[in-house]
Amino acid sequence: MLRTVTIATGIAAGFAGVAAAESITVYSAGPANLAEALQDAFEAETGIDVELFQATTGDVMARLEAEEANPQADVVVSASWASALDLQDRGLLMEYESPNAEAVPDFLKHSHYVAQGVSALAIAWNTESGTPRPSDWADLAAPEYADLVTMPDPSQSGSAFELVAGLQEAMGEDTWTLLGELAENGMIVPGANAAALNPVLQGAAAAVFGAVDYISYGRADDGETIEVIAPESGTVIAPRPMMILESTDNAEGAQAFIDFVLSEAGQELVAEVFLMPARTDIAARRPGIEDLDIIELDAEELDAQRDDIIARYNEVVLGR
Amino acid sequence: MAAESGARDGVTGRGRGDGRAPVRLRRAGAWLAAPATLSAIAGATIILLVGIPVLFILLQAVFPEFARGGSFAAPFSRLDIVTHNPRLLTQTANTLLLAGSVMLGCLLLGLPVGILRGLFRVPGARLWDVLFLIPFLIPPFIAAIAWMMLLQRNGYLEGALGFNMSGFLFTFAGVAFVMTLNLFPLVYFAVSRALEVVGGHYAAAARVCGAGPLRAFVLITAPLSVPAIAASLLIVFAMSIEEFGTPAALAARTGFEVLVTGIYTRLSDYPIDLSGAAVGSVILMALVLAAFLLQNWIATRRSYVAQTGKPAAIERAELGPWRWPALGLFALVGAIGVVIPLFTIVATSLTGTISGGLSLSNLSLRHYEAIFATGSRAGQALMTSGWLATVTALAASLIGGLVAVIVVRGTARARQAMDALSILPNAIPAIVLAVGVILFWNSPYLPVTLYGTAAILLVAYTAILLPYPIRYAVAQLRQMGGSLDDAARVAGASGAQTLGHVLLPLMAPALIAAMMLVFAIASRELVASIMLAPAGMRTVGTYVFSQFEQGSVQVGMAMSTIAIVITTGILLVVNLWLARRGANPFAG
Repeated sequence: MLRTVTIATGIAAGFAGVAAAESITVYSAGPANLAEALQDAFEAETGIDVELFQATTGDVMARLEAEEANPQADVVVSASWASALDLQDRGLLMEYESPNAEAVPDFLKHSHYVAQGVSALAIAWNTESGTPRPSDWADLAAPEYADLVTMPDPSQSGSAFELVAGLQEAMGEDTWTLLGELAENGMIVPGANAAALNPVLQGAAAAVFGAVDYISYGRADDGETIEVIAPESGTVIAPRPMMILESTDNAEGAQAFIDFVLSEAGQELVAEVFLMPARTDIAARRPGIEDLDIIELDAEELDAQRDDIIARYNEVVLGR
Repeated sequence: MAAESGARDGVTGRGRGDGRAPVRLRRAGAWLAAPATLSAIAGATIILLVGIPVLFILLQAVFPEFARGGSFAAPFSRLDIVTHNPRLLTQTANTLLLAGSVMLGCLLLGLPVGILRGLFRVPGARLWDVLFLIPFLIPPFIAAIAWMMLLQRNGYLEGALGFNMSGFLFTFAGVAFVMTLNLFPLVYFAVSRALEVVGGHYAAAARVCGAGPLRAFVLITAPLSVPAIAASLLIVFAMSIEEFGTPAALAARTGFEVLVTGIYTRLSDYPIDLSGAAVGSVILMALVLAAFLLQNWIATRRSYVAQTGKPAAIERAELGPWRWPALGLFALVGAIGVVIPLFTIVATSLTGTISGGLSLSNLSLRHYEAIFATGSRAGQALMTSGWLATVTALAASLIGGLVAVIVVRGTARARQAMDALSILPNAIPAIVLAVGVILFWNSPYLPVTLYGTAAILLVAYTAILLPYPIRYAVAQLRQMGGSLDDAARVAGASGAQTLGHVLLPLMAPALIAAMMLVFAIASRELVASIMLAPAGMRTVGTYVFSQFEQGSVQVGMAMSTIAIVITTGILLVVNLWLARRGANPFAG
């Protein structure tokens, strides 16, 4: 919401009258089609206008940080659970428990934030790559995959960081042995999530180690020869938190938005883009949480280890 | 030629309609009466657009808590990024090596065609000009993706010819190659334009005195174009040390790091570190200021005045039998720099799936259908970018022209500072500049602000793109003798009349060329748009980027194609219209 008097609102008010339709401002991490579908459906249902800013989680967070002296957003949807913790620690979030959150399992909700949907990290494998179908993380260190594996860079992708941390939780030191072997085997670390997936689509590489699964399901649905494989030894999930900023001047509108996303209609839209809905009573269009072997992570502990894990990854995998 | 007709009006003091001209002059003179007023306006504008955001970045670099409500706690606590960074030296060395290589590459690619274009009659000259604007229409991150899809393992090249060039593309050389292709037209336009001003007459005088054509070129024409070449290379330098997308996409996998890598990492993922990014940007600014001083020394240590009176119509030399080799060179540069990346973008937008590759059975228009589908935000994005680019082009050229006059002709001490300030937007990564813009314009202490409206994008675009008109116009003014202004003043013209009827018309070719560049770049600007576009507004750049991030690469490429076609069409029409009026923005 515009808290400062802006010239445009001044002009707009002149034309439309000050009592123009009520509106909320939503900053949302991708995917764009989900954010826009939720916006359209919410506007149709409630008559409240949504001013939507859709970008990557990093861009959303950078913008929130830069605007902190004079916050503009009412609702934030992030792809990183840790970012919600951080915002709450800093006292920036408003407490709200939506009545529609009843069917959301406890580990996906909190007094100040609640999951919109959930993704998991997986292996995305190009079925036409001429390589054997991998079934677990360690398979990708085999000679058949030499120079053919990509991985998102944990320092640029929050989900890749959580995967490394999760594997360390589950496998301890073996994680670093495996990552070292992958590096030896010519694993490519080309950047964030999209940069890791695109070479696999074209066949420049055969598999992504740690692909964000719903994006890959979406690409497969679009006809790409990609199979999403949930590794046998387990994986980490990335719930996508929604939250209301304490500074909002339209708490009711913001709460209505959260309620709507957690409604059946909202959760169906979330399922459309191959995310797992936060509510257990809405069917996913792909394997759900109960089908996955999930490595649990303590978010607070994660945060404390962050610098060490990234430094070690840089040393073991990137050689710097 | 605009310069010629404009100067004729100016020097003789007569407009086209004798009756109306004096009135117009007086009115113009009323609000731009004294050079002091002019200095003040230009100075205030550049301070507002560039100086204040840069100041806020510096504050953020020193005070890590600054963004959180203007706190001045814990000063200098983030400087450990500089003092405790064992990779800083390597990163700095890599940055300088990359910038140096790109500058060299731009000279190799842009200089020969620029000279040919400036001094000879090249068939299809205007078309080549528009063709060489196209690299500016392609966002760097798309160019990088296009080259990857072409050259990587199982890429289009391998599909067609059976081999790939991964070994070249994903190395330092590949990064420098792709970045050169993004930037070489800067040198082409600067050189061809400068040669127009230097023109034939000094060289002709040298020929009369017995010099051969080559000798006349080496001793007369080439040295006189030095300011323009140095100015364009300065922009190339600043752009290459600030560019993130290409090195990140191509060389991250080989461990090649530049300074800007760290800056983006700090802003691209949680936890966000504004202060660290600001500190990194200060280093980049220092590098560019050093380059600026060097460039300034080159451009001012001697006089490059080549135009002291009414510009003579340039008789371009005939190429004669050299016509075909020259055209071959243009075609080669055009093919590598424009046609190949453009082909890759269009071809990708027409493939049904990426994994299906380039085959007839995989040919599909469905990604274009997705763009035009109801509920798509593409139309709004195209409109938004269209008007933003148009207004930015006009505003940047106007402000740039005024600043250039102050910098070259002004007497105030502040003119050097203004000149230096004007190059900084190119040195600061756009995302950091955008943070500076937010810190200032979103400050709760401002009673009125543009933040949250589309106008903030105009502010940011103008700031980011000001270096082009300023550098081009400053270089042009350095080639024009002060005697022209003096003559106007002696003839009784006021400062404003001199400006409006002598200097601006003479700068017009440079400003129009810069205007086209600004329009092209603004039409697809991405990074500042992400940070600053008011919620609810999409631009072409942000639309394409979000398709690449979590949508479909082909939809992103399709949207790029549409934007490139529209923008090229507009530039072509403007160019032809100018040609019909006898003016040519790039060379006589």
